[in-house]
Amino acid sequence: MAYLSYGSHTIRYELSGPEAGPAYVLVNGLTQYAELWDAYRDALVAKHFRVVTFDLLGQGESDKPSLFISQDDHVAVLRLLIDQLGDGPIFLTGISFGGIVALRYAIEHGHKLAGLVAMSTFAELPPQLFLLGNVMRTGLILGGTSYLQDMLLPMNLSDAWLAPLLDKLESVKRQGWLVNDVYALQNLMESFLDFEPLTPKLNAIKIPTMIMNGEFDFLTPRPLHDSLRTHIPDSALIIVPRAYHAFTLEKSALTADLLARFAADVMTKQWKGGGSVWIAPEEAGGAIEPFPPGYDHLRALPIRLATT
Amino acid sequence: MSMFLGPLDSEARVPPRQQTRLAAFLISAHGALARQLALAVPVHLRFGWETELHAQFYRETEIVSLLMHATSWAPDPELPLFSLSWENAWLPKPAAGVTDWTQGLLIDTAAFGHALHAAIRPAALLPLEASALDPFVVALRRIEFESGRLMQAQILFLKSPQLLPVRDSVNAAVERRHAQVRELWEAMLGSIGLRHDQPASQQA
Repeated sequence: MAYLSYGSHTIRYELSGPEAGPAYVLVNGLTQYAELWDAYRDALVAKHFRVVTFDLLGQGESDKPSLFISQDDHVAVLRLLIDQLGDGPIFLTGISFGGIVALRYAIEHGHKLAGLVAMSTFAELPPQLFLLGNVMRTGLILGGTSYLQDMLLPMNLSDAWLAPLLDKLESVKRQGWLVNDVYALQNLMESFLDFEPLTPKLNAIKIPTMIMNGEFDFLTPRPLHDSLRTHIPDSALIIVPRAYHAFTLEKSALTADLLARFAADVMTKQWKGGGSVWIAPEEAGGAIEPFPPGYDHLRALPIRLATT
Repeated sequence: MSMFLGPLDSEARVPPRQQTRLAAFLISAHGALARQLALAVPVHLRFGWETELHAQFYRETEIVSLLMHATSWAPDPELPLFSLSWENAWLPKPAAGVTDWTQGLLIDTAAFGHALHAAIRPAALLPLEASALDPFVVALRRIEFESGRLMQAQILFLKSPQLLPVRDSVNAAVERRHAQVRELWEAMLGSIGLRHDQPASQQA
């Protein structure tokens, strides 16, 4: 574990894998910490990637500013981290809150990246997400981190994942509860109070971009990802079957495989973005299928697209 | 050194020596904050936020009372020395860079309250096996749980538009109180055999 200075603050990060390999930088979601990427680190290092994981400012073992934190701080930290990685190809991915940080970095410093993967994320705050965010903040304030976890677990993970853990949920939640301080989470959430939509700036992202959305993600549903797809020129939307918002936790082998395949496609110039829509396989290594033509990928029902 | 209190006794209770030192620290800090709030609450409330101040005064007093009743006290000859350094640290110190002395004092009190409720997590010291029936264990959980709500009055005040012109001073005052509270908390934990992991920048 290494530490990086950002002003008077310290950021904990970890670099793994061969120094000469292409790099993957993984950005946490709101209540996460670096160790939750361990399975990704192992899978990507085995494929000769250099992997960077870290705790965002205000998270885990990174410093937690007492009162004031802005999303600009996260982008600045990411810039410091990525500047350390040399001239090889660099791929950046982030989930949810981390996806916004990654999008903002790509808008401002995309020339330093070979590719971007935006997972369960968004560039705007429509009413449902805005209100859900408020509910989560209020829940955190009134019920603490544990209550926030209780809200997020059933929202973001499937019955299949939850069922075997139901009788030991307290121990599942404990590490997240221990490393997350209420005030620090609240500061992270309040960095959204002056959130400006990124949508008008998305066309500044010129690099290959894979957008991943869980089939059943209702926290950040498909239209939010489709907005990324339609505004980022060289992008493709991959729908992850039977997945919810936190599919990176639930389907780590599949997601790590898709990350590696995306990077390989980009580096061998086989990437086909072009605003296409795909369906990920159920298991790692399976075929990525194009979304059936003629159907509306924004609907849950098999509605045919209107013909013009 | 452990990150958690213990070893627990046969009934999964925290050793009295640890209870005593921990409770004494919390009583000292919350008692000091209660005294500062008592002076800050006007006889007749004029502003909405003063009702929060009033409520918090009683909450802080409740924490002190709760710990006095829930703790299994043990003789602790070192406590007077510790208490002296704690009480000295909690003395009000108007925020630097704020010309209005009263406002500077209010900022410091709020910064102290924020640090106390944000940086101190007594329930996170409890091992999984700690008895949920033991009053000391329940008291620590209750104090941490209530802290999330209690710090809101401080956050509202410290982030309020009226303090925008002195935001740097506010930030410095809060960071100072956080560093101070953390340092004393870590030292107290170290004195009862606990190691509290913290970011490298905050390590002495």
